[in-house]
Amino acid sequence: MSVLNPSRVLFKFKPRKLTRLQQETRIGLLFLSPWLIGFVLLKALPILAALVFSLTDFRMLTPEETEFIGLENYIRFFGDTTAGASLFGSLGYFLVTVPLEMVVALGLAAIFTSDRLKNKRISRTLIFMTSIIPSTSIFFIFLGSLAYADRLFFKPYNLPPIEGFGLLLPFMALWSIGPGFLIMYSAMESVPREVYEAARVDGAGPFARFIFITLPMISPAIFFTLVVNLTGAFGGAVLLDRGYILSFSLSPMESYINDTMFSQANLGYASALAWITFAVMMTITILLFRSSKRWVYFPEEDEENEI
Amino acid sequence: MKFSREPSPARDASRLTLRLWDFTGTAMLNLFMFLFLVAYLSPLPFMVIASLTPRDQFLDARAPILPSERIKFNYEGKDLIVYQVPMEDGIRHLALYKPSRQSSEFIDPANPAGGTIVWEGNWRSLRTVYQFKPTLQNFEDFLGVAQMSVYFKNTIIVALITEIGILFSSIAVAYGFSRFRIPGIKYIFFLLIATIMIPGNITLVPTYYLFSGHMLDWIGTWLPLIVPHFFGSAIMIFLLRQNFKSIPRDLDEAAMLDGAGPLRILISVILPQSVPVVTTVALLHFFYIWNETRLSSLYLGIAPNLQMVSFAVQRNQTYFFTPEALMVGALMVMVVPVIVLFLSQRLFMQDMIITQIEK
Repeated sequence: MSVLNPSRVLFKFKPRKLTRLQQETRIGLLFLSPWLIGFVLLKALPILAALVFSLTDFRMLTPEETEFIGLENYIRFFGDTTAGASLFGSLGYFLVTVPLEMVVALGLAAIFTSDRLKNKRISRTLIFMTSIIPSTSIFFIFLGSLAYADRLFFKPYNLPPIEGFGLLLPFMALWSIGPGFLIMYSAMESVPREVYEAARVDGAGPFARFIFITLPMISPAIFFTLVVNLTGAFGGAVLLDRGYILSFSLSPMESYINDTMFSQANLGYASALAWITFAVMMTITILLFRSSKRWVYFPEEDEENEI
Repeated sequence: MKFSREPSPARDASRLTLRLWDFTGTAMLNLFMFLFLVAYLSPLPFMVIASLTPRDQFLDARAPILPSERIKFNYEGKDLIVYQVPMEDGIRHLALYKPSRQSSEFIDPANPAGGTIVWEGNWRSLRTVYQFKPTLQNFEDFLGVAQMSVYFKNTIIVALITEIGILFSSIAVAYGFSRFRIPGIKYIFFLLIATIMIPGNITLVPTYYLFSGHMLDWIGTWLPLIVPHFFGSAIMIFLLRQNFKSIPRDLDEAAMLDGAGPLRILISVILPQSVPVVTTVALLHFFYIWNETRLSSLYLGIAPNLQMVSFAVQRNQTYFFTPEALMVGALMVMVVPVIVLFLSQRLFMQDMIITQIEK
């Protein structure tokens, strides 16, 4: 039995010795495997199918009459003024709500890292709470409160009533800051205290510390929030769903796609619209990633990992 | 830092100003947060008031804001509604006995034996008298219709199972994206970001086909809601990767020199420094499952016993689309997430983060 010396057996097979990089690649791919397998099994086929649908006149009520029509759906988009308006509407929605949401979330998170603030648990819960109010109720809360305000404060003093719908968008943005607030707050809490102490000893005031330490240290989280809010504005994945019904969305472009898909049952054209939206979103995202090299701080920069 | 210098009146004074300044700063900060919260939550009282208001109060535009009920007066075995009647001697609260368009007969509740009082005018122009009385009837109605306990149990089971899946796989994948040099990894990451951006509704039909009887036959079970989460969520992977990448590698390398493998580094170096972000992921996923209605409506529509809270409440609300029913539903859905949120706060505390490794 001593002949079967393990080292000798191994020696005999002479495995090609892996370089350090190859070994690292293998272990890395092992860690990536859950997502890669999930992508191949559950995501890839539906995405490909959606790509094929966009080249057909697939209607959900009459699937057997589907015909291949090439790029006609994409050409149709350029003559569709509603689609164009919805796309620009989504861009406007992004430009209005996202800066508001992010600045407020960032400011609140910064205040919450202060040791001087009392009753943090309750305040944090209250701030996040508004982001989980179900969609069916939130419009009632908004309109009902406006009606109350009107009765209690505006009518008695003969003030003109508030124009509700102009305020709806900022209101919805502010009442959805929960996830962004939580992400930025947790990023701020991860900044080692020693860094702040060192800056304090060097004589940096609270504002200097916020601008020169907090902001660079949490820039990855800010970047994440920016990208996710962008996808939300155009109808991609969202961090927190309010439980909207299938055909409803706050994003104008997603609403139009849903309308094409559910009310007109025209899945072919809806898919084409979705791919056009996707192209616009992806372009903006790639530009954001390019710009991120200038303002998103990671302790070690390596070319491999960046887009 | 310790100063061993002699105390001097000047330093005492400066210390006092510093303290005063400190106190003012604390007071201002807390006052600001209080005022912000009051403004921020100002629409919420509507929710509570509406949920305690009887249904018919919403039909009367002149009813008071607070939950109230009409004052009634029992006269000869009948409940008469009390109105504000303008008489010569001011407004009197009288119970309507015989309504009529031209002149109605009233009873004075304070003096029922005094007989009827005749008032000239249309009784419909009169205001009813309300008294403050919140009702729990809306909550009782809601719980009576919906099998809420079953839905709560279902949601918690699904949330906990998927929580395990999403945390394990998202953390592993995010670690893979943040620490390993893999040729072409940026294209894989690009693919991950791309899957976040594809509108979900567009892959709905093919995904439904995948889960339907044609292929996997999972409709009417929890599997379409649970299984995808075990492969990680792209958005959470992105969030975790951002955090892992911002952790310096010095500690990784130190641990590697001590002979720790990749898994060991993840567990004992990376994760202890990422408690806040992992908590965030866990919470966001819990709330996502809790509020999720799109997929449950698709896959669980035929299985009433497996349905989850938000979808069940939303379905009820489409039948009872009245302010008080909507507010009751919203409050019922929100109770558990708010409790979870409140209890989870401890995990965000700075003390939980271990930035130093014992050497």
